[in-house]
Amino acid sequence: MTGTGELTYRRIHHASRELLFDCMTTPEHLTHFWGPAGTSTPIDGIVIDLRPGGVFRTTMVNDADGSTHTMRAVYVEVRRPERLVWVEPDVEGGMRTTITFVALDDTRTEVITHQTNVPAAYLGPEARAGFSTSLDRFDAYLAHLTAHA
Amino acid sequence: MPVADDELSLVFSALADPTRRAILERLAVQDATVSQLAEPFALTQQAVSKHLKVLERARLISRTRRGTARSCALDADRLDVVAGWIAHHRRMWADRHDRLDRHLAALRAERHDDEGTPP
Repeated sequence: MTGTGELTYRRIHHASRELLFDCMTTPEHLTHFWGPAGTSTPIDGIVIDLRPGGVFRTTMVNDADGSTHTMRAVYVEVRRPERLVWVEPDVEGGMRTTITFVALDDTRTEVITHQTNVPAAYLGPEARAGFSTSLDRFDAYLAHLTAHA
Repeated sequence: MPVADDELSLVFSALADPTRRAILERLAVQDATVSQLAEPFALTQQAVSKHLKVLERARLISRTRRGTARSCALDADRLDVVAGWIAHHRRMWADRHDRLDRHLAALRAERHDDEGTPP
Protein backbone atom coordinates (compact mmCIF):
# COMPACT_ATOMS: atom_id res chain seq x y z
CA MET A 1 0.00 0.00 0.00
CA THR A 2 1.35 3.42 -0.84
CA GLY A 3 0.37 6.49 1.11
CA THR A 4 0.00 10.21 1.07
CA GLY A 5 3.21 10.75 3.01
CA GLU A 6 5.98 8.36 3.82
CA LEU A 7 9.40 7.99 5.24
CA THR A 8 12.04 5.32 5.51
CA TYR A 9 14.51 5.12 8.36
CA ARG A 10 17.43 2.67 8.31
CA ARG A 11 19.68 1.73 11.18
CA ILE A 12 22.31 -0.97 11.72
CA HIS A 13 22.54 -2.55 15.18
CA HIS A 14 25.04 -5.00 16.62
CA ALA A 15 22.52 -7.67 17.53
CA SER A 16 20.72 -10.63 15.98
CA ARG A 17 17.42 -10.28 14.14
CA GLU A 18 15.74 -12.35 16.84
CA LEU A 19 16.91 -10.06 19.66
CA LEU A 20 15.90 -6.92 17.74
CA PHE A 21 12.50 -8.35 16.91
CA ASP A 22 12.02 -9.20 20.59
CA CYS A 23 13.13 -5.69 21.61
CA MET A 24 10.39 -4.22 19.41
CA THR A 25 7.69 -6.59 20.68
CA THR A 26 8.35 -7.15 24.41
CA PRO A 27 7.29 -4.70 27.14
CA GLU A 28 10.42 -5.54 29.21
CA HIS A 29 12.57 -4.27 26.31
CA LEU A 30 10.33 -1.50 24.94
CA THR A 31 10.17 0.31 28.27
CA HIS A 32 13.91 1.05 27.91
CA PHE A 33 13.79 2.88 24.58
CA TRP A 34 10.30 3.44 23.15
CA GLY A 35 9.18 6.89 24.32
CA PRO A 36 10.29 10.00 22.46
CA ALA A 37 12.98 12.15 24.11
CA GLY A 38 11.64 13.77 27.28
CA THR A 39 9.15 11.00 27.94
CA SER A 40 9.22 7.57 29.51
CA THR A 41 7.15 4.48 28.76
CA PRO A 42 6.35 2.60 31.99
CA ILE A 43 6.16 -1.15 31.54
CA ASP A 44 2.63 -1.36 32.99
CA GLY A 45 1.44 1.04 30.28
CA ILE A 46 2.46 -1.29 27.46
CA VAL A 47 -0.09 -3.76 26.08
CA ILE A 48 1.02 -6.28 23.47
CA ASP A 49 -1.01 -9.05 21.90
CA LEU A 50 1.52 -10.29 19.38
CA ARG A 51 -0.59 -11.68 16.53
CA PRO A 52 -2.24 -10.20 13.43
CA GLY A 53 -5.27 -8.25 14.68
CA GLY A 54 -3.74 -8.04 18.17
CA VAL A 55 -3.35 -4.81 20.14
CA PHE A 56 -0.11 -2.83 20.43
CA ARG A 57 -0.59 0.03 22.88
CA THR A 58 1.97 2.17 24.68
CA THR A 59 1.36 5.03 27.07
CA MET A 60 4.14 7.60 27.10
CA VAL A 61 4.50 9.84 30.14
CA ASN A 62 5.97 13.32 29.80
CA ASP A 63 8.90 13.59 32.23
CA ALA A 64 8.33 17.31 32.81
CA ASP A 65 4.61 17.53 33.62
CA GLY A 66 3.38 13.92 33.91
CA SER A 67 0.93 14.28 31.03
CA THR A 68 0.37 11.11 29.01
CA HIS A 69 -0.03 10.18 25.38
CA THR A 70 -1.26 6.75 24.29
CA MET A 71 -0.33 5.19 20.98
CA ARG A 72 -3.05 2.78 19.83
CA ALA A 73 -2.07 0.36 17.14
CA VAL A 74 -3.13 -3.01 15.76
CA TYR A 75 -0.69 -5.58 14.42
CA VAL A 76 -1.19 -6.48 10.76
CA GLU A 77 1.73 -8.84 10.27
CA VAL A 78 3.88 -10.64 12.84
CA ARG A 79 6.70 -12.71 11.34
CA ARG A 80 9.59 -13.28 13.74
CA PRO A 81 12.35 -12.47 13.03
CA GLU A 82 12.02 -10.75 9.66
CA ARG A 83 8.95 -8.50 9.59
CA LEU A 84 6.54 -6.60 11.80
CA VAL A 85 3.65 -4.40 10.60
CA TRP A 86 1.13 -2.37 12.59
CA VAL A 87 -1.37 0.38 11.84
CA GLU A 88 -2.45 3.33 13.97
CA PRO A 89 -5.97 4.11 12.77
CA ASP A 90 -6.17 7.45 14.65
CA VAL A 91 -2.98 9.06 13.35
CA GLU A 92 -2.83 11.37 10.30
CA GLY A 93 -5.64 9.53 8.54
CA GLY A 94 -4.18 6.12 9.40
CA MET A 95 -0.47 5.48 9.85
CA ARG A 96 1.07 2.18 8.79
CA THR A 97 4.48 1.16 10.14
CA THR A 98 6.49 -1.69 8.63
CA ILE A 99 9.70 -2.84 10.28
CA THR A 100 11.98 -5.18 8.36
CA PHE A 101 14.92 -6.91 10.02
CA VAL A 102 17.75 -7.80 7.62
CA ALA A 103 20.73 -9.90 8.80
CA LEU A 104 23.94 -8.36 7.40
CA ASP A 105 26.27 -10.94 8.97
CA ASP A 106 26.53 -12.96 12.20
CA THR A 107 26.54 -9.92 14.46
CA ARG A 108 24.85 -7.08 12.58
CA THR A 109 21.23 -6.46 11.62
CA GLU A 110 19.78 -3.63 9.59
CA VAL A 111 16.42 -2.42 10.88
CA ILE A 112 14.38 -0.68 8.17
CA THR A 113 11.38 1.31 9.35
CA HIS A 114 8.91 2.41 6.72
CA GLN A 115 5.94 4.60 7.64
CA THR A 116 3.07 5.56 5.38
CA ASN A 117 -0.26 7.23 5.75
CA VAL A 118 -3.11 5.15 4.50
CA PRO A 119 -4.50 7.17 1.58
CA ALA A 120 -7.25 9.64 2.35
CA ALA A 121 -10.54 9.00 0.58
CA TYR A 122 -10.11 11.80 -1.94
CA LEU A 123 -6.69 10.69 -3.11
CA GLY A 124 -6.95 9.47 -6.68
CA PRO A 125 -5.46 6.26 -8.15
CA GLU A 126 -2.96 8.31 -10.16
CA ALA A 127 -1.46 9.77 -7.02
CA ARG A 128 -1.46 6.39 -5.28
CA ALA A 129 0.54 4.89 -8.12
CA GLY A 130 2.90 7.83 -8.35
CA PHE A 131 3.92 8.34 -4.77
CA SER A 132 6.63 5.93 -3.76
CA THR A 133 9.37 8.38 -2.88
CA SER A 134 11.59 7.36 -0.02
CA LEU A 135 12.37 9.85 2.69
CA ASP A 136 15.92 10.42 1.52
CA ARG A 137 14.97 11.10 -2.08
CA PHE A 138 12.11 13.30 -0.95
CA ASP A 139 14.40 15.19 1.42
CA ALA A 140 16.84 15.83 -1.41
CA TYR A 141 14.03 16.94 -3.66
CA LEU A 142 12.69 19.40 -1.10
CA ALA A 143 16.18 20.77 -0.48
CA HIS A 144 16.58 21.24 -4.22
CA LEU A 145 13.28 23.14 -4.47
CA THR A 146 13.83 25.38 -1.47
CA ALA A 147 17.39 26.16 -2.59
CA HIS A 148 15.96 27.64 -5.78
CA ALA A 149 13.13 29.52 -4.14
CA MET B 1 4.17 24.94 12.74
CA PRO B 2 1.06 22.81 13.38
CA VAL B 3 -0.95 21.99 10.29
CA ALA B 4 -4.19 20.03 10.11
CA ASP B 5 -3.68 16.45 8.92
CA ASP B 6 -6.11 16.99 6.05
CA GLU B 7 -4.08 19.94 4.78
CA LEU B 8 -0.90 17.89 4.96
CA SER B 9 -2.58 15.08 3.01
CA LEU B 10 -3.49 17.61 0.32
CA VAL B 11 0.13 18.65 0.04
CA PHE B 12 1.40 15.07 -0.11
CA SER B 13 -1.12 14.03 -2.75
CA ALA B 14 -0.31 17.14 -4.80
CA LEU B 15 3.38 16.21 -4.67
CA ALA B 16 2.60 12.61 -5.64
CA ASP B 17 2.40 13.41 -9.34
CA PRO B 18 5.66 13.73 -11.38
CA THR B 19 4.25 16.42 -13.69
CA ARG B 20 3.20 18.55 -10.74
CA ARG B 21 6.66 18.12 -9.21
CA ALA B 22 8.19 19.23 -12.51
CA ILE B 23 5.89 22.27 -12.56
CA LEU B 24 7.04 23.16 -9.03
CA GLU B 25 10.68 22.82 -10.07
CA ARG B 26 10.02 25.13 -12.98
CA LEU B 27 8.32 27.66 -10.67
CA ALA B 28 11.22 27.39 -8.21
CA VAL B 29 13.37 29.04 -10.90
CA GLN B 30 10.90 31.74 -11.92
CA ASP B 31 7.21 32.65 -11.87
CA ALA B 32 5.40 31.61 -15.04
CA THR B 33 2.08 31.86 -16.85
CA VAL B 34 -0.03 28.83 -17.77
CA SER B 35 1.11 28.90 -21.40
CA GLN B 36 4.76 29.18 -20.37
CA LEU B 37 4.26 26.14 -18.13
CA ALA B 38 2.45 24.12 -20.81
CA GLU B 39 5.22 24.51 -23.39
CA PRO B 40 8.07 22.36 -21.99
CA PHE B 41 5.73 19.62 -20.79
CA ALA B 42 3.99 19.07 -24.15
CA LEU B 43 0.68 19.39 -22.35
CA THR B 44 -2.43 21.30 -23.30
CA GLN B 45 -3.12 24.44 -21.29
CA GLN B 46 -6.22 22.68 -20.03
CA ALA B 47 -4.14 19.79 -18.63
CA VAL B 48 -1.72 22.21 -17.00
CA SER B 49 -4.62 24.16 -15.51
CA LYS B 50 -5.90 20.96 -13.91
CA HIS B 51 -2.52 20.34 -12.28
CA LEU B 52 -2.31 23.97 -11.17
CA LYS B 53 -5.69 23.68 -9.47
CA VAL B 54 -4.42 20.75 -7.40
CA LEU B 55 -1.25 22.66 -6.48
CA GLU B 56 -3.27 25.74 -5.62
CA ARG B 57 -5.68 23.75 -3.43
CA ALA B 58 -2.66 22.41 -1.52
CA ARG B 59 -1.42 26.03 -1.36
CA LEU B 60 1.89 25.02 -2.93
CA ILE B 61 1.48 27.81 -5.47
CA SER B 62 -0.30 31.14 -5.61
CA ARG B 63 -1.74 32.80 -8.70
CA THR B 64 -1.90 36.48 -9.47
CA ARG B 65 -3.57 38.25 -12.35
CA ARG B 66 -1.60 40.86 -14.22
CA GLY B 67 -3.72 42.35 -16.98
CA THR B 68 -4.99 39.36 -18.93
CA ALA B 69 -2.13 37.01 -17.98
CA ARG B 70 -2.28 34.93 -14.80
CA SER B 71 1.10 34.29 -13.27
CA CYS B 72 1.92 31.36 -10.97
CA ALA B 73 4.42 31.51 -8.11
CA LEU B 74 5.82 28.81 -5.80
CA ASP B 75 4.86 29.01 -2.12
CA ALA B 76 8.04 27.68 -0.51
CA ASP B 77 6.70 27.99 3.07
CA ARG B 78 4.36 25.14 2.31
CA LEU B 79 7.23 22.86 1.35
CA ASP B 80 8.89 23.70 4.65
CA VAL B 81 5.80 22.37 6.42
CA VAL B 82 6.12 19.06 4.57
CA ALA B 83 9.83 18.87 5.28
CA GLY B 84 9.00 19.57 8.93
CA TRP B 85 6.55 16.68 9.12
CA ILE B 86 9.08 14.26 7.71
CA ALA B 87 11.90 15.61 9.89
CA HIS B 88 9.74 15.24 13.01
CA HIS B 89 8.96 11.58 12.36
CA ARG B 90 12.49 10.84 11.29
CA ARG B 91 13.91 12.42 14.47
CA MET B 92 11.54 10.33 16.57
CA TRP B 93 12.88 7.10 15.04
CA ALA B 94 16.49 8.29 15.27
CA ASP B 95 16.08 9.02 19.01
CA ARG B 96 14.35 5.70 19.55
CA HIS B 97 17.17 3.80 17.87
CA ASP B 98 19.79 5.75 19.86
CA ARG B 99 18.14 4.50 23.04
CA LEU B 100 17.76 0.99 21.60
CA ASP B 101 21.51 1.03 20.92
CA ARG B 102 22.21 1.84 24.57
CA HIS B 103 19.74 -0.82 25.71
CA LEU B 104 21.48 -3.45 23.53
CA ALA B 105 24.86 -2.41 24.95
CA ALA B 106 23.45 -2.82 28.47
CA LEU B 107 22.17 -6.30 27.55
CA ARG B 108 25.62 -7.24 26.22
CA ALA B 109 27.26 -5.95 29.41
CA GLU B 110 24.84 -8.01 31.52
CA ARG B 111 25.62 -11.13 29.55
CA HIS B 112 29.35 -10.59 30.04
CA ASP B 113 28.74 -10.19 33.78
CA ASP B 114 26.81 -13.47 33.86
CA GLU B 115 29.71 -15.20 32.17
CA GLY B 116 32.12 -13.67 34.65
CA THR B 117 34.05 -11.81 31.94
CA PRO B 118 34.59 -8.09 32.10
CA PRO B 119 32.39 -6.06 29.67
